[in-house]
Amino acid sequence: MLSQAGELWLYFGKLKGFVMENAQLITLSRINALERQMDIVANNLANVNTTGYKGENLLFEEYLMPVASAEEFKHGDRDLRFVLDDRTVGNFQTGNIETTGNQTDVAIKGEGFFAVQTPAGERYTRDGSFTINDQGQLTTHSGFPVLGQGGPLQFDQSDKAITITGNGVVSTENGEIGRIRIVTFDDVQTLNRKGQNLFEGENPQNLETPRLAQHSLETANVDAVGQISQMIQVQRAYEQLASMMTQQNDLRENAIQTLGRVQVNA
Amino acid sequence: MQALHTAASGMRAQEQNIQTVANNIANIRTTGFKKQRAEFQDLLYTDLRRVGSTSSNAGTIVPTGIQIGSGVKFAATSRVLTQGSLEQTEQPLNVAVRGEGYFEVQLPDGRTAFTRDGSFERNQDGTVVTLDGYQVGGGITIPDDARSITISNDGQVEVVSGNDSNSTNVGTIELVSFINPGGLEAIGDNLFVETDASGDPQNGTPGDDGLGTMLQGFLEGSNVEAVAEISDLITAQRAYELNSRVISAADEMMQSAGQILR
Repeated sequence: MLSQAGELWLYFGKLKGFVMENAQLITLSRINALERQMDIVANNLANVNTTGYKGENLLFEEYLMPVASAEEFKHGDRDLRFVLDDRTVGNFQTGNIETTGNQTDVAIKGEGFFAVQTPAGERYTRDGSFTINDQGQLTTHSGFPVLGQGGPLQFDQSDKAITITGNGVVSTENGEIGRIRIVTFDDVQTLNRKGQNLFEGENPQNLETPRLAQHSLETANVDAVGQISQMIQVQRAYEQLASMMTQQNDLRENAIQTLGRVQVNA
Repeated sequence: MQALHTAASGMRAQEQNIQTVANNIANIRTTGFKKQRAEFQDLLYTDLRRVGSTSSNAGTIVPTGIQIGSGVKFAATSRVLTQGSLEQTEQPLNVAVRGEGYFEVQLPDGRTAFTRDGSFERNQDGTVVTLDGYQVGGGITIPDDARSITISNDGQVEVVSGNDSNSTNVGTIELVSFINPGGLEAIGDNLFVETDASGDPQNGTPGDDGLGTMLQGFLEGSNVEAVAEISDLITAQRAYELNSRVISAADEMMQSAGQILR
């Protein structure tokens, strides 16, 4: 009895093209991925005014389910393709350069990152809104010293009128302080985001010819319109999938009722 | 769904941004006011798939992982210390600083505060004080019968009093500078006090040691530019709206998820 019902169940599933749980599971894999994409869009939009923020995007891939090797079925097993979101890619285009007038604000035009010293090790940032701490060091707003070619940049109490040239030489009226260290990476996509506008990365290489702009900051490179349209896309896809799940659930309910009837008749 | 909280952090940040802009605009006519800028930082990221984790037995590693951020935070308000425009007032005890430097003011509680607001007056004893009656610098007394007061570029105060035809020097208005003037703490009334971040005040003669010069009969206006503030306001408002759209979209998504089982 049971085996007959089981066979019918499978047959019914085959008629529809696949075993029905899989339809639910594939939809679920996409729904999960869409939720994560929504989270990323939300983070991009939340940081639309964050200095030096780089937009992020989620990439999807097909995940091919290993096909059953048993040959009991008349028709060959179909391959199932699940959705797999397997990487986030950063958009590392330069944002707009905005003039602020502050002498410790620096923007990087083109490639490169500032190196900062944190308790957890060296980190990198595009956010050049610096300040000076009580020890006279140039720091980020989180208080991490900005690194020059030879360690932190140290000002003297009596220093005034700080100038930073296009290639990063920092000087005051009393003379040269040092040169801001700008680093690049072979592949910026390998950088790890750490919050506080910082990135973690390996094998930084010093950039010999950086292009800096004093009295300026780099705005976030998030394209609000693009993000909103992506959000609408995500939302609609999500709604469609949710209604697909409802349909599949109805289908299953029908199947159970129909199959139940067969069993009673037999 | 994280998106709800992320967007909420975005709305909160923009609210604070608008507060900063509102304060700038409210102080557009405040003497010596320096506008503020809101600075933001991204919050922590969740690593769903860590960069550099091993992806196979052969030792291959994940080149780029999945990192989902959790929003934005308000990191700092930095002061923009550009020169404000100079406005002629014809008042002999109004002084503007062209360039770097702050006036010293003695607070009633014994502390020293610093200001760019040079709209000074005389009190009942003839001492030069701020509009709140706080003594300026080490105390400069103008005689009762002073006919004319001259303040030179380097802060020397000279008066001609009574029937005297020669001017007498009654004191010097000094300026102080800080290594990091952005680190001064604003206490209202156009006054600032020193902090660990600003460093100690460095006394100096106006026009020397990189300090600015004084200009009698003028006041320094705020450095708030109405057009820049309005465009900042629009940007902040739109960013706020965008984040609220994310909240409603996330809400609708959750609603459609809730309706799967009907």
